[in-house]
Amino acid sequence: MCKRFILIGVLLMAIIAVLKSQTANEIMQKIDDNMSSENRVVESSMTIHGRRNSRTITSVSYTVGTEKSFTEYLSPPREKGTKMLKLEDRLWTYYPANDRIVQISGHMLRQSVMGSDLSYEDMMDDRQLTEVYVAVVESKEEIDGRSIFVLKLTAKVDDAAYHSRKLWVDAEYYLPTKEELYAKSGQLLKRTQLSDFQKVDGRWYPMKMNFKDVLKQGEGTDWEIISIRFNEEIPDYLFSKAALKQ
Amino acid sequence: MIKFLIKGILRDKSRSLLPVIVVSLGVFLTVFMSGWMKGIFGDMIDMNANYTMGHVKVMTRAYAENEEQIPNDLALLDVDALTRQLSAEYPNVEWVRRIMFGGLLDVPDENGETRAQGPAAGRAVDLLSPDFKEAERLNIPKSLVQGRMPQQQGEVLISDEFARRFNVAIGDDISILGSTMYGSMVVPTFTVCGTLNFGMAMLDRGAIIMDITDAELAFDMQDAAGELLGYFKDGQYNDDEALLMRESFNAVYSDVNDEFSPQMVRLRDEATLKQYLEMADNMSAMMVMIFVIAMSIVLWNTGLLGGLRRYTEYGVRLALGEEKGHIFRTIIYEALMIGSIGSVLGSALGIGISYYLQENGIDFSAMMKNVTMMMPTVYRAKVTPDLFYIGFIPGLLAMTLGNALAGYAIYKRKTAQLFKELEV
Amino acid sequence: MIAFKLAYKNLLGAGLRTWLNVSVLSLAFVLIIFYNAMIDGWNRQGRNDTQNWEIAQGQYWHPEYDKYDVYTINDAHQALINPIQKHVDAGRMVPELLQQASIYPQGRMQSIILRGIPSEQSVLKLPTHLLKSDSEELIALIGKRMAKASKLKLNDTVLLRWRDKNGTFDAAEMRIGGIFNCDVAEIDNGQIYISYALMQNMMGLSNEATLLVDKLGMGEQFSDWDFKSPSFLLKELDELINSERISGMVMQLILLLIALLAIFDTQILAIFRRKKEIGTYIALGLTRQQVVRVFTIEGGMHSVLAALLGAVYGIPLFMWIDSVGINFGSADMGITIAERVYPYYSLQLVLITIVVVVVSSTIVSFIPARKIARMKPTDALKGKM
Repeated sequence: MCKRFILIGVLLMAIIAVLKSQTANEIMQKIDDNMSSENRVVESSMTIHGRRNSRTITSVSYTVGTEKSFTEYLSPPREKGTKMLKLEDRLWTYYPANDRIVQISGHMLRQSVMGSDLSYEDMMDDRQLTEVYVAVVESKEEIDGRSIFVLKLTAKVDDAAYHSRKLWVDAEYYLPTKEELYAKSGQLLKRTQLSDFQKVDGRWYPMKMNFKDVLKQGEGTDWEIISIRFNEEIPDYLFSKAALKQ
Repeated sequence: MIKFLIKGILRDKSRSLLPVIVVSLGVFLTVFMSGWMKGIFGDMIDMNANYTMGHVKVMTRAYAENEEQIPNDLALLDVDALTRQLSAEYPNVEWVRRIMFGGLLDVPDENGETRAQGPAAGRAVDLLSPDFKEAERLNIPKSLVQGRMPQQQGEVLISDEFARRFNVAIGDDISILGSTMYGSMVVPTFTVCGTLNFGMAMLDRGAIIMDITDAELAFDMQDAAGELLGYFKDGQYNDDEALLMRESFNAVYSDVNDEFSPQMVRLRDEATLKQYLEMADNMSAMMVMIFVIAMSIVLWNTGLLGGLRRYTEYGVRLALGEEKGHIFRTIIYEALMIGSIGSVLGSALGIGISYYLQENGIDFSAMMKNVTMMMPTVYRAKVTPDLFYIGFIPGLLAMTLGNALAGYAIYKRKTAQLFKELEV
Repeated sequence: MIAFKLAYKNLLGAGLRTWLNVSVLSLAFVLIIFYNAMIDGWNRQGRNDTQNWEIAQGQYWHPEYDKYDVYTINDAHQALINPIQKHVDAGRMVPELLQQASIYPQGRMQSIILRGIPSEQSVLKLPTHLLKSDSEELIALIGKRMAKASKLKLNDTVLLRWRDKNGTFDAAEMRIGGIFNCDVAEIDNGQIYISYALMQNMMGLSNEATLLVDKLGMGEQFSDWDFKSPSFLLKELDELINSERISGMVMQLILLLIALLAIFDTQILAIFRRKKEIGTYIALGLTRQQVVRVFTIEGGMHSVLAALLGAVYGIPLFMWIDSVGINFGSADMGITIAERVYPYYSLQLVLITIVVVVVSSTIVSFIPARKIARMKPTDALKGKM
């Protein structure tokens, strides 16, 4: 009798756990559905807060899937015409001033992009959350009058840059309002705040983000989307080194 | 009487020639030795001053704080105005701008695509202005392995080791993957006009040297500089003056609450260097003292001998009725004269040669085969103010003292005995 | 023999003058020996320190490892193969694993090289026993230069961030368990030492090393490990010391010249003043060559007396310096120089110095004495030239 109850109890708990994790994974899937797309064209501005002054850089990027991406910088004048091509895990940059294509590899990828709180790797790691992590719902909270799922993501692959993440997901938009990236040891490394959710082509998308390397002093880096279009025709020749020089 | 003595000195070669030669040789050696010592001990200090510290150095407070990370984003701004002010306030100091930078050296292939990469440790100094001594300071001309010095904008020197490892020839292009002082990523491209070997792995790895105007353009640092170095125009580090300068400058310009306000440090503020400087001071003072003492003994000896060899003459003079005191005085006068002539000649020669060696150095590289060290294969002496008087201590004082001692014997001896020495 | 006796008697008979010359020459003696001993002392200490603290009898490097190129470090590691593991177990080799990492003292990022080294090693002088820990705590060992640069003190904690073999970020608080004082700048600047075993865990590696420190220097060859001998690793120090030695030679030469000048001067005057004596010698039946010999030996004997006099005050002086050392501070130019250099007096050095001084003073004594050979005995007897 006793044993049976225990067995049923365990089973029930297991089912609940599965259901719960499913919900967590479902939430994660919904975030992925919102955030990633077959292809997109984004015009954005990045504001980097230095110790002395802040700079804003605008760029337009064309992304197909998670492997291919092409970015052209539009302003300031110093940056204008600089292009960046990412194919899988390789990255090239083109500098119009002296017509050079430079491959950024190895340790340079870990450097910050234009002095921001983001590294090239951070920018390049476009894999969907569901590919890399398993999630559990840690709690459901009420923050600023909105209901929020707190998700704990743990890497299921070896080569994730961040072993775990914590996401505060808005229950209505299925977008994170805040994300924290943790080291294997549980040490908080980076924090992202997302805001200004807008509906674009039938999906919700955050138009503003702030990236912050919490180990460093400073205000972090602001990223703002000026315009975003999904499912555009992006010609394939854009993703070639030849296109960099055009 | 002095005229008479001079005639005597000039006409009696045994009275003049040998002592003068010995005194001047001795003084010369003392003076030269002091200059040499100063030069040798100064080597390490000069290295520090020339490569990193200057005699004084101005940086922003924030830059100074993280100096080893070369934070060009914290560089000094409005450097031209600052330089003008500094030049007006401290006219005996030459002010030079330096920009250091890190990044990657990137070697392109014929399509302008990356062929090879390696870490870069860059240094931009004034190479193109005709009256600047920066190239000399960094010992660049002598460290050239191939090619020549940059003669126009866009020409750079790279480490020979890097050039060989990645097959970069003179005339090839090379880029630096770096960032501007505002954080933008840039890849300026330059033409390699020569390769360098400083001989110290620390300095040679990934070394790239360019003119300051190139770095200004490349890294968006017009009118900015990581460091503003001051060098005393006479080339000598003067600690007292540097201290005064630091105090007065910081009192006016530096603001504790503004991390971008400029701050001056002097060479001796480098803690580790301070100890070395103190030791060098002590060591060279000690060595020079030993030298002066040794030389004094030698010249005293000369004086003594000079006096002794003329006992016969003194005998005659006493016999002729000259007073002992008078003879003694003439001996002293003569010694003073010979000492002065010798000291002047010796000092002149010593300072002359020290000066020559300060400007040209002695190249010992032939004695050090296969040596890749940059620093002291060329040794230099240094002319310091004390060289002008240090030789007179042994030259004049010791010579006179020796003669006096020899002359003293006259009082001890009986006239008759001296007279006896007259016999032929 | 008679020449020696005569020379000796004449020399002592001359009294003060002789002692003046001898004391100058003895100064040259003492200084030459001292300077060279300093250089030798520096050399030996520098070599010993580098060997004791860093390289022992040589290192085996991963083929990709380049000490001066930090970009090579992260990929330069490989498993210890069996014969090497045996050496390690027997304490004949010490593996070190090197990786790039960052620390964040006061919110500023600082790149460092993280070095895993077995805490039980005894080949190198690094106080690795301090890395032993019973708890999970991450204990680090740094040098005094690193401590100064990062403003870290004993028992301070600082955040360390690294990436494991897959590139996953990891970070942990690290406590400074020890600050060592070592003259070898290269093992100090920008280096942080932690336990080898712990580092393997942190990186997700199992028993992989970047380099092996060899205790015995048998020169054994292993595939995939390049042996670097001490002479290769100490090349820069050797060159620096060699150049210092040459710069010192100029100084010693000048000092010796001064002393020789004194002897030369004395000789000329001695011959001038002692013509009668010379005449007498010849009249008594000595050949001119013999007389020349007497005078030459007399001059040369200054150096023998100088050696003795130098020994009288030099030996106690050297012994004293040897007990206190000479303070060089810590002139950090990336070169290895002890804070306190203890001169090293080798027998070879002393002997060479004696030979050089004796021979050179004999030569300067001989040059003026040659004049005697041209004298006419009759004139000499009268004191005429």
